[in-house]
Amino acid sequence: MPKKEFVIKIKDLKTDIGILKDFELSIGKIIEEWEEEAGPTEFPTIKDLREWDFKLLQRYRPFYMPFCDVCCLCTFGKCDLTGNKRGACGLDMSAQQSRIVLLACCIGAATHIAHARHLLEHLIEKYGSDHPIDVGGINVEVEAPITRLVCGIKPRKLGDLEDVLDYLERQVTQLLSATHTGQEGSNLDFESKVFHAGMIDQVGMEVADIAQIAAYGFPKADPDAPLVDIGFGTADPTKPVILVIGHNVPPAIEIIDYLTENGLYDQVEVTGLCCTAHEITRYNPKAKIVGPISWQLRFIRSGVPDVIVVDEQCIRADSLIEAQKVKAPLIATSDKNCLGLKDRTNDPADAIVSDLLSGKTPGVLILDPAKAGEVAVRTAIGVAHKRKKFKAIPETSDIIESAKRCRRCDECRRACPNDLPIPEALAATIEGNLDELSSLYDECVGCARCESACPLGFPLHSFIVKAAERKLKEERYKVRAGRGAIQDVEIRRVGGPIVLGEIPGVIAFVGCANYPHGGKEIAEMAMEFAKRRYIVLTSGCAAMSAAMYKNEEGKSPYEIHPGIFDAGGIVNVGSCVANSHIAGAVIKIASIFARRKLRGNYEEIADYIHNRVGAVGVAWGAMSQKAASIASGFWRLGVPVIVGPHGSKYRRMLLGRKDRKEDWYVYDARTGEKVYVGPTPEHLFYAAETKEEAMVMIAKLCMRPNDTTKGRSIKLTHYIDLHRRLYGTMPDDIHLFVRTLADVPITMRDEIVKILEEKGWEQNIVPDPTLLPRLIRRRG
Amino acid sequence: MSMFEDIPVDVGIIYEGERIRWPDAYVELGGPRVEHKFELVKVRRPEEIEDGKTIIIGPDIKDLEKKSYPFGIYVEIAGRELEEELEGVIERRIHEYCNYIEGMMHLNQRYDIWIRISKRSVEKGLDSFIYIGKVLQRLFKSELPIIEKIQITFITDPEKVKEKFEEAMRTYEERDARARGLRDEEVDVFYGCTLCQSFAPTHVCVITPQRYSNCGAISWFDGRAAARVDPKGPIFMIEKGKCVDPLKGEFLGVNESVKSKSGGEITKVWLYTAFGYPHTSCGCFEAVAFYIPEVDGIGIVHRGFQGTAPNGLSFSTLADSTAGGRQVDGFHGISIEYMRSPKFLQSDGGWNRIVWLPESLKERVKGFVPDDLLDKIPTDKQVTTIEELKAFLEEKGHPVVKRWEAMIEEKVEEKAEEREAVRPLGVPLEAMISPEGLRLAPGGFRIILKNVKIHAKKLRIKKVEK
Repeated sequence: MPKKEFVIKIKDLKTDIGILKDFELSIGKIIEEWEEEAGPTEFPTIKDLREWDFKLLQRYRPFYMPFCDVCCLCTFGKCDLTGNKRGACGLDMSAQQSRIVLLACCIGAATHIAHARHLLEHLIEKYGSDHPIDVGGINVEVEAPITRLVCGIKPRKLGDLEDVLDYLERQVTQLLSATHTGQEGSNLDFESKVFHAGMIDQVGMEVADIAQIAAYGFPKADPDAPLVDIGFGTADPTKPVILVIGHNVPPAIEIIDYLTENGLYDQVEVTGLCCTAHEITRYNPKAKIVGPISWQLRFIRSGVPDVIVVDEQCIRADSLIEAQKVKAPLIATSDKNCLGLKDRTNDPADAIVSDLLSGKTPGVLILDPAKAGEVAVRTAIGVAHKRKKFKAIPETSDIIESAKRCRRCDECRRACPNDLPIPEALAATIEGNLDELSSLYDECVGCARCESACPLGFPLHSFIVKAAERKLKEERYKVRAGRGAIQDVEIRRVGGPIVLGEIPGVIAFVGCANYPHGGKEIAEMAMEFAKRRYIVLTSGCAAMSAAMYKNEEGKSPYEIHPGIFDAGGIVNVGSCVANSHIAGAVIKIASIFARRKLRGNYEEIADYIHNRVGAVGVAWGAMSQKAASIASGFWRLGVPVIVGPHGSKYRRMLLGRKDRKEDWYVYDARTGEKVYVGPTPEHLFYAAETKEEAMVMIAKLCMRPNDTTKGRSIKLTHYIDLHRRLYGTMPDDIHLFVRTLADVPITMRDEIVKILEEKGWEQNIVPDPTLLPRLIRRRG
Repeated sequence: MSMFEDIPVDVGIIYEGERIRWPDAYVELGGPRVEHKFELVKVRRPEEIEDGKTIIIGPDIKDLEKKSYPFGIYVEIAGRELEEELEGVIERRIHEYCNYIEGMMHLNQRYDIWIRISKRSVEKGLDSFIYIGKVLQRLFKSELPIIEKIQITFITDPEKVKEKFEEAMRTYEERDARARGLRDEEVDVFYGCTLCQSFAPTHVCVITPQRYSNCGAISWFDGRAAARVDPKGPIFMIEKGKCVDPLKGEFLGVNESVKSKSGGEITKVWLYTAFGYPHTSCGCFEAVAFYIPEVDGIGIVHRGFQGTAPNGLSFSTLADSTAGGRQVDGFHGISIEYMRSPKFLQSDGGWNRIVWLPESLKERVKGFVPDDLLDKIPTDKQVTTIEELKAFLEEKGHPVVKRWEAMIEEKVEEKAEEREAVRPLGVPLEAMISPEGLRLAPGGFRIILKNVKIHAKKLRIKKVEK
């Protein structure tokens, strides 16, 4: 239905029953109702879900780890907040830390929402506001679970999504305003607002992804989405190569359309980095993904791309400088990332192409995706033979020469986020040994901070890339194109086993590529849990890293494991914005499978998920503010998130205290009685230092109060087995997770029973768990 | 101390999904390349067996070559609570337990078993059936305390396998005949299951010899074993009590038990019908039986079916109409096994009332559809709309056609009532903006509205059920 005003004017009307004169009826908005009854919290304000947030925050108390001891946001400061000091405005350390977390989450949410707005405006212009929202045909009836849950509306057409975005934009403004000096003063209220930011961020992501799935015909909840190429070595360097970087796909789509319409597709390679890469393969499976965000510098410097097209988010701010190093023209396409370039949107394509080819300008800003597409293709074809893949990668002799001049000041190593032994590896090259330098490649996150730190200005990142040249060329893997939503029928099939605990968990590997030890850890974890018959989901850069692994038969994880949402599947949902389908899937378990009311019924659905759905998010390389807001969206739904060691720089964790028995009571919805359920799940936000620690924690955080005895025994088996394998010992908290003897894994019965006796364990009941007293059923 | 300290390989649930490919296998036992293979559980008197004993007839693992061998696993158990009826249920655990052993793959059951042992595990020391025997014995006794004594024989000697194979086949047949023949009327107790209450809080599954659990995973025998092993668990015994209506399947004991286990929500259940007080539907039922009023028949759609039924609805939508532990007149979540039962919707006419089901489902149950009906029930391959369905049923002379005449008469009466009873729940848009709709006080007055401006910030339009 149109959002436009509806006006009726009647000048003069005479009938038997009366006369109307100058009658005017105007209606601001027309909302088409749907069959589901409205829930209690449609379009919640920033405080409407505060009570639920506090329930979670009481159990998972924020644990602050200041990344910075002072506040310098106003002219009172800098204010030292260490100890119990308060700043000039009266704020203390914990409130300041949560305030910064809120700022980060507002940035993250604003980014997705602005992305969604930009994309939606473009799609409405191109496809019309009446274009239907279809994300999975007959197999997906709940097309927008998060939007229905939060906003209480059922979007049918692209135009319906505009109302949703209006709401989200209002919320971001409100949240951001709370961070002003002299506004919110309580750390817990800041945290509640963080949760709100995360929730609206999820809605924003959902709007963006369902809009593009519907309009561009991306795979529609398809478990058999095509396997596509990924890896540095998949692009054919003999052809002109276009590289697209970023998240907002319209310009990249226009590139593909222009190539296809002009019969040029086989002559030009379209490659991508970061989420735009996911999107182009969802649009055209012949497109190629180079790799995650950390591949930017290495791929640009290799000279393979002839034209670089950037849209928005996670793009290196020095991309223009890097592009110039290899003489590749750059086209910026987003008003959020203009890079100082001249706006050529209204110039004729011929003129722009000619300026780029002649080198008159190193780059241009084109805000019309179609024009950007045409210019990119014509420039790539025109410039390829001139550039001859001019690269910015040094020769081996340059490396050795530099190694001899190196002063061993260690600045590079100190600057390296992963503390890689760069000076040692460089020194080894003097003896002609490049292996050490090459081995750094596996753990390098591609930030090039080493280069900035080097007093001699050595291109150290390029040295590493050169040493690992062969590895790079061999990077050829397969990833399943992002499938989008999870089908309602899949949810029905696995809902029971998940809720009962027989499928031990749903694990989502998401987020960026700021890994402590390279992306292979993602692949290893994903494979291990899929092998153990968990359901594994992936998205964004993590979905790419999960692909970059081969078994002895040369198959990558997506070829070994099916793309179904079922035990043992590895399911790539797609880009960052496709993360919404992960939240959507857990919401659908509560709404479709368990028939909890969805519409505007956030608290009850979150309570269901928190107590029953053994889902865990893992953002092993979380880097951005978007990753922060994505995680907070999951917290509000009661889903625990584990981050890698760099994630501790998000400044605070949400940790449960298993030693405080009083924190772990729920209501038994059958009787209203309060029942101790043990620390399930123990934490809401946890940073693990190593892959091994993460794996044990994943298995542990999948436990839920609702697990049946069989389910609990399966979950305990995995937890104990991983603990024994990876730590070499039995966990010391088994007794907290055993409710009745039937929970004890039968293959470990004797030893666990002994432990239980030693710990003075007592039998307990398995309740119908809820944190919400209003859900206690009355006996009839 | 670990239960399996003395076993050279690891034992745990995490090996359940392990697949052993032929190049990695040390030996294959049973499988498609040999004729004789079996596994069998027999209940004995305590004095007949020796607890903890493992007997090997024929060469042991270390003396086998890399090829397929005829193979038998013969498990004898004793215990006061054990009875022959439980043999089948206990036997199925062999599959599960063997798969817990690192480097041992067990597929299928009964006369169809297919086992591989990996080279790596044999190298680690799993070179004798003694170990496997120990694992099975400990797991059986640990999980099923009703087993007081257990003795296991592994047979690789082809002659001996063949001999015992025949005994096994006889046992399976007797067991099946007994199970198939067992009627609801012949037992005093049914079993109930509340496992699904976490997502369907008022759902209580009633499992009878002739009615499998909705999920298709629990037979009456399974229920019996589970209730005996763990009397406090989610599966419990129901005294069926007095039978009030043998056709519809109403039992006072069932009503009472369901009432108490559903927190008073459900007070009456008719086991053999989709109408009135049908059995509640959980969320994991294998199929939905749904009433199609246009033809006065019942359609069935199963979980794996991707298309839509003739009424345009998918499994998902139909499931949605009944799931969650509700009792919905005309909708009924069922197991596929129940479709093979003589009690299958008997009160509604059984198969005579079934008017549509997907082709793939029909294929699975066709041995149980009366011969004269088989071609009269269309599938998704033959009809896709209600019109086509009607035409098909009429053309083939499906038994429901006879019901139509009666139905038409009834409908005429109903319609007259309907007009009275149904009033619009909300005011439709056209009424609001038509001058007639603005009548403020009817009769005796004339109202003049001048310079009226009405601004509605939002207008919600709600569909009215017609």
